[in-house]
Amino acid sequence: MMTVRKEFDQGLQQLHQLVVEMGNFVETALQESIEALKKVDIERAKIVIDKDPSLNSLEEQITLIGSKLIVTQQPVAKDLRRILSAFKIASDLERMGDLSVDIAKIVLRIEGQSLIKPLIDLPRMAEIVQLMTYEAIQSFIHEDVDLAYKMAKDDDQVDALYGQITRELFTLMLENPRNIAQAQLLSIVSRVLERYGDHATNIGESVVYLVTGNRPDLNV
Amino acid sequence: MEPLINVNKLNLFYGSFQALKNVSMTIPEKAITAFIGPSGCGKSTLLRTLNRMNDMIPGTRIEGQLLIGGTDIYSNEVDVETLRKKVGMVFQQPNPFPKSIYDNVAYGPRLHGITNKKQLDELVETSLKKAALWEEVKDHLKRSALSISGGQQQRLCIARALAVEPDILLMDEATSALDPISTLKIEELVQELKDNYTIVMVTHNMHQAARVSNQTVFFLNGEVVEFSETEKLFSNPSDQRTEDYISGRFG
Repeated sequence: MMTVRKEFDQGLQQLHQLVVEMGNFVETALQESIEALKKVDIERAKIVIDKDPSLNSLEEQITLIGSKLIVTQQPVAKDLRRILSAFKIASDLERMGDLSVDIAKIVLRIEGQSLIKPLIDLPRMAEIVQLMTYEAIQSFIHEDVDLAYKMAKDDDQVDALYGQITRELFTLMLENPRNIAQAQLLSIVSRVLERYGDHATNIGESVVYLVTGNRPDLNV
Repeated sequence: MEPLINVNKLNLFYGSFQALKNVSMTIPEKAITAFIGPSGCGKSTLLRTLNRMNDMIPGTRIEGQLLIGGTDIYSNEVDVETLRKKVGMVFQQPNPFPKSIYDNVAYGPRLHGITNKKQLDELVETSLKKAALWEEVKDHLKRSALSISGGQQQRLCIARALAVEPDILLMDEATSALDPISTLKIEELVQELKDNYTIVMVTHNMHQAARVSNQTVFFLNGEVVEFSETEKLFSNPSDQRTEDYISGRFG
């Protein structure tokens, strides 16, 4: 079948690549912020914070290219869904970048302190949401609905760990009031990771929408 | 919405060429149904069967059934003139008669026996109003229909079709010869008319179908590929060939 839409297809391809680039960026940012936290590594945390504006500019490029395609190509059906899901995924990824910055800023606030406990569950939680992010992006690349559903299921583990960490930190605060300040910060980190998983799940929903035209609620 | 037009296993041949293949559909009343598809797909052919315009093409043969309001319009008892009174048509090129604006609209009613001046005046006025042309021409109804713009001429043709009080209005590429503003005026007009008329339109402009119609039918090689609610057909079509066509991958 002859294709008569070279420019249009190039534009859609560009959008696709930008989304993948944002996905890779966000995976690295999360990994770096958690490493920085584990070692209370201020320099590493600052790099995460400094790099974030370039993630925002990737999102802006997606908005620009997508709007231009809508105006000039009047997309319908799956073409339109490609653009709409790129917008939505980019907005989720941008928020995920901000969440990594939140973790990095917490590292800056506990500068000079030793950790009140060895971090075990938080890095585990981070590992799962990192895998979720990877799988969300893979499901986008391969338009793999099954992978999107599988990834969303992992969010249950994240939610379970969130509850567990909250209880543990609560106990630490009760044991020693001097733990309260840092325990509060660590509890924010767990909350941030929990939000992070929700955004990955949102990306899975966008992938299902892209492929099927229906938007399920995977976050249940 | 009650079905007004019922097409049942319709086959149409131009000589040995089969232009429509086993077409079945139900077109609902008082709604806009758009036919889309690449050139030669059969969309205009089907439109023309609805008021038997194909009768004039030699070598045309029809199989199957075409019911309008329950009557098979190809049965021997049907009078074609009466059928065309009920099923009006507007063509691609505005084709007003070389007469005055008034006489264009009064032509059909006169043909059907109305001679009373007052009655004709009223018919002309309401028809021109329904076609959203009255305000523009009311002060020079005696002027030649050929002196007004293309967009006005097309609305005059719609008024002329409405003057014989049809139930169905067929539009064959009715805006493709018009500028964008005139096109929008006709589209708006069609939206208003659908409250009282069943409208079937053929269009090459997919975005027009998306903007204007309630249902869209996609034709390919004489067959109906998909008949869906317009929003569904343009956002999430059921058939891959529909998706390829509306996305501009062929056609």
